[in-house]
Amino acid sequence: MGTTLGIGSSLWAAGGGEHHGLSWLGMMVYIALVLGIVFFALSRAKQDFGQRVFKGFWSQLLEQVYLFIENLCVGIIGAHGRKYIPFILTFWLVIFVSNVVALFFPTSPTADLSFNLGVALIAIGYVQWEGMKANGVLGHFKHFAGPKLPPALLLISFMIFIIEIISEVMKNVSLSLRLFGNIEGGHQAVVAMNNLGGSFVPVGFLLMPIKILTCIVQALIFSLLTCVYLSLVTHHEDDHHHDEAGEPAGHSEAQPAAAH
Amino acid sequence: MTGHVFGLGIGLAAMGVAIGLGLIGYSAMQGMSRQPEAIGKIQTAMLIALAFVELVFLLAVFVLPGSLKV
Repeated sequence: MGTTLGIGSSLWAAGGGEHHGLSWLGMMVYIALVLGIVFFALSRAKQDFGQRVFKGFWSQLLEQVYLFIENLCVGIIGAHGRKYIPFILTFWLVIFVSNVVALFFPTSPTADLSFNLGVALIAIGYVQWEGMKANGVLGHFKHFAGPKLPPALLLISFMIFIIEIISEVMKNVSLSLRLFGNIEGGHQAVVAMNNLGGSFVPVGFLLMPIKILTCIVQALIFSLLTCVYLSLVTHHEDDHHHDEAGEPAGHSEAQPAAAH
Repeated sequence: MTGHVFGLGIGLAAMGVAIGLGLIGYSAMQGMSRQPEAIGKIQTAMLIALAFVELVFLLAVFVLPGSLKV
Protein backbone atom coordinates (compact mmCIF):
# COMPACT_ATOMS: atom_id res chain seq x y z
CA MET A 1 0.00 0.00 0.00
CA GLY A 2 2.93 2.30 0.68
CA THR A 3 3.86 2.53 -2.97
CA THR A 4 0.61 4.10 -4.21
CA LEU A 5 1.89 7.54 -3.26
CA GLY A 6 5.48 8.06 -4.26
CA ILE A 7 6.25 11.05 -2.10
CA GLY A 8 6.81 10.71 1.61
CA SER A 9 6.74 6.96 1.60
CA SER A 10 8.83 7.01 4.74
CA LEU A 11 5.81 8.29 6.67
CA TRP A 12 4.48 4.75 6.95
CA ALA A 13 6.37 1.54 7.29
CA ALA A 14 6.55 0.20 3.76
CA GLY A 15 8.38 -2.95 4.76
CA GLY A 16 7.06 -6.38 3.92
CA GLY A 17 5.13 -8.64 6.22
CA GLU A 18 1.92 -7.95 8.02
CA HIS A 19 2.76 -4.55 9.41
CA HIS A 20 1.16 -1.63 7.60
CA GLY A 21 1.34 0.88 10.42
CA LEU A 22 2.98 4.23 10.70
CA SER A 23 6.68 4.73 11.08
CA TRP A 24 7.99 6.92 13.87
CA LEU A 25 8.21 9.87 11.50
CA GLY A 26 4.60 9.36 10.47
CA MET A 27 3.55 9.23 14.11
CA MET A 28 5.40 12.48 14.82
CA VAL A 29 3.71 14.14 11.85
CA TYR A 30 0.36 12.91 13.11
CA ILE A 31 0.99 14.23 16.62
CA ALA A 32 2.04 17.56 15.10
CA LEU A 33 -1.24 17.60 13.17
CA VAL A 34 -3.35 17.05 16.31
CA LEU A 35 -1.32 19.58 18.30
CA GLY A 36 -1.72 22.04 15.45
CA ILE A 37 -5.50 21.61 15.57
CA VAL A 38 -5.47 22.13 19.34
CA PHE A 39 -3.34 25.28 19.14
CA PHE A 40 -5.42 26.61 16.26
CA ALA A 41 -8.54 26.09 18.37
CA LEU A 42 -6.94 27.81 21.34
CA SER A 43 -5.77 30.79 19.31
CA ARG A 44 -9.20 31.22 17.72
CA ALA A 45 -10.95 30.87 21.06
CA LYS A 46 -8.62 33.45 22.60
CA GLN A 47 -9.68 36.04 20.03
CA ASP A 48 -13.29 35.72 21.18
CA PHE A 49 -12.54 35.70 24.89
CA GLY A 50 -13.68 39.23 25.70
CA GLN A 51 -17.05 38.97 23.97
CA ARG A 52 -20.30 37.79 25.48
CA VAL A 53 -21.02 35.29 22.69
CA PHE A 54 -18.69 33.54 20.26
CA LYS A 55 -19.02 35.22 16.89
CA GLY A 56 -16.19 33.67 14.88
CA PHE A 57 -16.91 30.66 12.70
CA TRP A 58 -14.15 28.50 14.15
CA SER A 59 -14.86 29.30 17.76
CA GLN A 60 -18.54 28.51 17.24
CA LEU A 61 -17.65 25.23 15.57
CA LEU A 62 -15.26 24.27 18.35
CA GLU A 63 -17.82 25.32 20.94
CA GLN A 64 -20.22 22.83 19.38
CA VAL A 65 -17.58 20.11 19.63
CA TYR A 66 -17.03 21.00 23.28
CA LEU A 67 -20.78 20.97 23.98
CA PHE A 68 -21.09 17.58 22.28
CA ILE A 69 -18.43 16.08 24.54
CA GLU A 70 -19.89 17.85 27.57
CA ASN A 71 -23.31 16.34 26.85
CA LEU A 72 -21.67 12.94 26.53
CA CYS A 73 -19.84 13.22 29.86
CA VAL A 74 -22.60 14.84 31.89
CA GLY A 75 -25.29 12.64 30.35
CA ILE A 76 -23.55 9.36 31.10
CA ILE A 77 -21.35 9.95 34.15
CA GLY A 78 -23.58 12.47 35.88
CA ALA A 79 -22.87 15.88 37.35
CA HIS A 80 -19.36 14.96 38.50
CA GLY A 81 -18.51 13.94 34.93
CA ARG A 82 -17.63 17.52 34.11
CA LYS A 83 -14.06 17.04 35.29
CA TYR A 84 -13.49 14.25 32.74
CA ILE A 85 -14.27 16.50 29.77
CA PRO A 86 -10.61 17.28 28.87
CA PHE A 87 -9.73 13.60 29.01
CA ILE A 88 -12.63 12.46 26.83
CA LEU A 89 -12.21 15.41 24.47
CA THR A 90 -8.55 14.49 23.93
CA PHE A 91 -9.49 10.92 23.11
CA TRP A 92 -12.23 12.02 20.78
CA LEU A 93 -9.98 14.49 18.97
CA VAL A 94 -7.07 12.07 18.57
CA ILE A 95 -9.24 9.22 17.33
CA PHE A 96 -11.48 11.30 15.11
CA VAL A 97 -8.60 13.11 13.41
CA SER A 98 -6.82 9.82 12.94
CA ASN A 99 -9.93 8.22 11.42
CA VAL A 100 -10.32 11.15 9.03
CA VAL A 101 -6.65 10.89 8.09
CA ALA A 102 -7.42 7.29 7.12
CA LEU A 103 -9.76 8.57 4.40
CA PHE A 104 -6.99 10.35 2.51
CA PHE A 105 -3.83 8.36 3.18
CA PRO A 106 -2.86 4.73 2.80
CA THR A 107 -2.62 4.28 6.53
CA SER A 108 -3.40 6.07 9.75
CA PRO A 109 -2.59 5.62 13.43
CA THR A 110 -5.92 3.94 14.23
CA ALA A 111 -5.42 1.42 11.42
CA ASP A 112 -2.56 0.09 13.54
CA LEU A 113 -3.38 -2.21 16.44
CA SER A 114 -0.39 -1.06 18.52
CA PHE A 115 -1.55 2.55 18.59
CA ASN A 116 -5.10 1.50 19.48
CA LEU A 117 -3.88 -0.79 22.23
CA GLY A 118 -1.81 2.04 23.65
CA VAL A 119 -4.78 4.39 23.65
CA ALA A 120 -7.01 1.72 25.20
CA LEU A 121 -4.41 0.99 27.90
CA ILE A 122 -4.29 4.69 28.78
CA ALA A 123 -8.10 4.82 28.94
CA ILE A 124 -8.56 1.70 31.07
CA GLY A 125 -5.60 2.57 33.29
CA TYR A 126 -7.12 5.95 33.97
CA VAL A 127 -10.43 4.26 34.75
CA GLN A 128 -8.67 2.09 37.36
CA TRP A 129 -6.97 5.16 38.82
CA GLU A 130 -10.26 7.02 39.08
CA GLY A 131 -11.92 3.98 40.63
CA MET A 132 -9.20 3.79 43.25
CA LYS A 133 -9.52 7.50 43.92
CA ALA A 134 -13.30 7.26 44.30
CA ASN A 135 -13.59 4.04 46.33
CA GLY A 136 -10.14 3.54 47.80
CA VAL A 137 -7.78 0.81 46.62
CA LEU A 138 -9.49 -1.95 48.61
CA GLY A 139 -12.94 -0.68 47.74
CA HIS A 140 -12.05 -0.71 44.08
CA PHE A 141 -10.94 -4.33 44.22
CA LYS A 142 -13.94 -5.25 46.36
CA HIS A 143 -16.06 -3.79 43.60
CA PHE A 144 -14.77 -6.56 41.34
CA ALA A 145 -16.07 -9.26 43.67
CA GLY A 146 -19.67 -8.50 42.85
CA PRO A 147 -22.50 -8.13 45.37
CA LYS A 148 -22.07 -8.96 49.05
CA LEU A 149 -22.76 -12.67 49.53
CA PRO A 150 -22.98 -14.73 52.73
CA PRO A 151 -19.69 -16.38 53.82
CA ALA A 152 -20.85 -19.78 52.60
CA LEU A 153 -20.72 -18.48 49.05
CA LEU A 154 -17.12 -17.23 49.29
CA LEU A 155 -16.14 -19.46 46.39
CA ILE A 156 -18.75 -17.82 44.16
CA SER A 157 -17.41 -14.38 45.10
CA PHE A 158 -13.90 -15.51 44.28
CA MET A 159 -15.02 -16.79 40.87
CA ILE A 160 -16.86 -13.54 40.17
CA PHE A 161 -13.66 -11.70 41.10
CA ILE A 162 -11.60 -13.74 38.63
CA ILE A 163 -14.15 -13.26 35.86
CA GLU A 164 -14.37 -9.53 36.51
CA ILE A 165 -10.58 -9.20 36.37
CA ILE A 166 -10.55 -11.05 33.05
CA SER A 167 -13.31 -8.84 31.69
CA GLU A 168 -11.41 -5.77 32.86
CA VAL A 169 -8.36 -6.91 30.91
CA MET A 170 -10.53 -7.76 27.93
CA LYS A 171 -11.86 -4.21 27.93
CA ASN A 172 -8.47 -3.13 26.57
CA VAL A 173 -8.67 -5.74 23.85
CA SER A 174 -12.25 -4.93 22.96
CA LEU A 175 -11.70 -1.16 22.78
CA SER A 176 -8.59 -1.44 20.64
CA LEU A 177 -9.77 -4.30 18.45
CA ARG A 178 -13.07 -2.60 17.69
CA LEU A 179 -11.38 0.56 16.49
CA PHE A 180 -8.70 -1.33 14.58
CA GLY A 181 -11.16 -3.73 12.99
CA ASN A 182 -13.47 -1.00 11.78
CA ILE A 183 -10.80 1.26 10.31
CA GLU A 184 -8.60 -1.49 8.88
CA GLY A 185 -11.69 -3.37 7.67
CA GLY A 186 -12.75 -0.23 5.82
CA HIS A 187 -9.32 -0.08 4.18
CA GLN A 188 -9.51 -3.71 3.14
CA ALA A 189 -13.00 -3.18 1.73
CA VAL A 190 -11.79 -0.23 -0.34
CA VAL A 191 -8.83 -2.26 -1.61
CA ALA A 192 -11.14 -5.12 -2.57
CA MET A 193 -13.52 -2.76 -4.36
CA ASN A 194 -10.60 -1.15 -6.20
CA ASN A 195 -9.44 -4.56 -7.38
CA LEU A 196 -12.98 -5.15 -8.60
CA GLY A 197 -12.84 -2.04 -10.77
CA GLY A 198 -9.60 -2.93 -12.51
CA SER A 199 -6.74 -0.50 -12.95
CA PHE A 200 -8.69 2.57 -14.07
CA VAL A 201 -11.97 2.76 -12.14
CA PRO A 202 -11.57 3.57 -8.42
CA VAL A 203 -14.81 1.90 -7.32
CA GLY A 204 -13.63 2.03 -3.73
CA PHE A 205 -14.47 5.72 -3.76
CA LEU A 206 -18.14 4.72 -3.56
CA LEU A 207 -17.46 3.49 -0.04
CA MET A 208 -16.53 7.00 1.09
CA PRO A 209 -19.90 7.90 2.73
CA ILE A 210 -20.00 4.76 4.84
CA LYS A 211 -16.34 5.25 5.77
CA ILE A 212 -17.05 8.80 6.95
CA LEU A 213 -19.95 7.43 8.99
CA THR A 214 -17.65 4.77 10.48
CA CYS A 215 -15.07 7.43 11.36
CA ILE A 216 -17.58 9.51 13.29
CA VAL A 217 -19.28 6.56 14.98
CA GLN A 218 -16.07 4.83 16.04
CA ALA A 219 -14.61 7.98 17.60
CA LEU A 220 -17.93 8.49 19.36
CA ILE A 221 -18.10 4.89 20.56
CA PHE A 222 -14.59 4.96 22.00
CA SER A 223 -15.32 8.11 23.99
CA LEU A 224 -18.76 6.80 24.95
CA LEU A 225 -17.43 3.49 26.26
CA THR A 226 -14.68 5.27 28.20
CA CYS A 227 -17.42 7.41 29.76
CA VAL A 228 -19.45 4.30 30.59
CA TYR A 229 -16.47 2.59 32.21
CA LEU A 230 -15.73 5.75 34.20
CA SER A 231 -19.34 5.96 35.33
CA LEU A 232 -19.27 2.29 36.36
CA VAL A 233 -16.31 2.76 38.70
CA THR A 234 -17.27 6.17 40.09
CA HIS A 235 -21.02 5.87 40.43
CA HIS A 236 -20.90 4.70 44.06
CA GLU A 237 -19.86 8.19 45.04
CA ASP A 238 -22.82 9.52 43.08
CA ASP A 239 -25.18 7.05 44.76
CA HIS A 240 -24.15 8.27 48.19
CA HIS A 241 -24.88 11.82 47.13
CA HIS A 242 -28.28 10.71 45.92
CA ASP A 243 -28.93 8.93 49.19
CA GLU A 244 -27.98 11.98 51.20
CA ALA A 245 -30.07 14.22 48.99
CA GLY A 246 -32.94 11.74 49.10
CA GLU A 247 -32.98 11.34 52.86
CA PRO A 248 -34.77 14.59 53.78
CA ALA A 249 -37.46 13.88 51.21
CA GLY A 250 -37.81 10.36 52.57
CA HIS A 251 -38.18 11.71 56.12
CA SER A 252 -40.86 14.17 55.11
CA GLU A 253 -42.78 11.35 53.50
CA ALA A 254 -42.24 9.06 56.44
CA GLN A 255 -43.34 11.55 59.07
CA PRO A 256 -47.03 11.71 58.13
CA ALA A 257 -47.10 7.93 58.09
CA ALA A 258 -45.61 7.92 61.59
CA ALA A 259 -48.15 10.51 62.71
CA HIS A 260 -50.95 8.20 61.69
CA MET B 1 -9.58 -27.40 4.56
CA THR B 2 -9.07 -24.83 7.30
CA GLY B 3 -9.69 -22.11 4.73
CA HIS B 4 -13.12 -23.57 4.09
CA VAL B 5 -13.85 -23.76 7.79
CA PHE B 6 -12.67 -20.19 8.18
CA GLY B 7 -14.93 -18.99 5.38
CA LEU B 8 -17.92 -20.81 6.80
CA GLY B 9 -17.17 -19.44 10.27
CA ILE B 10 -16.88 -15.87 8.97
CA GLY B 11 -20.15 -16.29 7.10
CA LEU B 12 -21.95 -17.61 10.17
CA ALA B 13 -20.51 -14.85 12.34
CA ALA B 14 -21.55 -12.21 9.83
CA MET B 15 -25.06 -13.67 9.70
CA GLY B 16 -25.47 -13.71 13.47
CA VAL B 17 -24.06 -10.23 13.91
CA ALA B 18 -26.27 -8.91 11.12
CA ILE B 19 -29.33 -10.32 12.83
CA GLY B 20 -28.22 -8.81 16.13
CA LEU B 21 -27.54 -5.39 14.63
CA GLY B 22 -30.88 -5.51 12.83
CA LEU B 23 -32.69 -6.28 16.07
CA ILE B 24 -30.93 -3.40 17.83
CA GLY B 25 -31.79 -0.96 15.06
CA TYR B 26 -35.34 -2.25 14.88
CA SER B 27 -36.10 -1.85 18.55
CA ALA B 28 -34.22 1.45 18.82
CA MET B 29 -36.18 2.93 15.94
CA GLN B 30 -39.41 1.66 17.41
CA GLY B 31 -38.55 3.20 20.75
CA MET B 32 -37.53 6.48 19.15
CA SER B 33 -40.74 6.75 17.15
CA ARG B 34 -42.83 6.01 20.21
CA GLN B 35 -40.97 8.44 22.44
CA PRO B 36 -39.27 11.11 20.34
CA GLU B 37 -38.30 13.03 23.47
CA ALA B 38 -36.07 10.14 24.58
CA ILE B 39 -34.08 10.00 21.34
CA GLY B 40 -30.83 11.11 22.98
CA LYS B 41 -30.87 8.43 25.65
CA ILE B 42 -31.99 5.70 23.28
CA GLN B 43 -29.27 6.62 20.80
CA THR B 44 -26.59 6.36 23.48
CA ALA B 45 -27.78 2.96 24.64
CA MET B 46 -28.18 1.85 21.03
CA LEU B 47 -24.60 2.80 20.18
CA ILE B 48 -23.25 0.94 23.20
CA ALA B 49 -25.19 -2.23 22.34
CA LEU B 50 -24.16 -1.87 18.71
CA ALA B 51 -20.51 -1.65 19.67
CA PHE B 52 -20.69 -4.80 21.75
CA VAL B 53 -22.45 -6.80 19.05
CA GLU B 54 -20.06 -5.57 16.40
CA LEU B 55 -17.13 -6.69 18.53
CA VAL B 56 -18.26 -10.32 18.20
CA PHE B 57 -17.72 -10.21 14.47
CA LEU B 58 -14.33 -8.53 14.84
CA LEU B 59 -13.32 -11.19 17.36
CA ALA B 60 -14.38 -13.85 14.88
CA VAL B 61 -12.37 -12.22 12.10
CA PHE B 62 -9.20 -11.66 14.13
CA VAL B 63 -9.21 -14.54 16.61
CA LEU B 64 -10.54 -17.39 14.48
CA PRO B 65 -7.53 -17.43 12.06
CA GLY B 66 -5.18 -17.62 15.02
CA SER B 67 -7.06 -20.49 16.63
CA LEU B 68 -7.27 -22.42 13.34
CA LYS B 69 -3.61 -21.74 12.47
CA VAL B 70 -4.40 -20.89 8.86
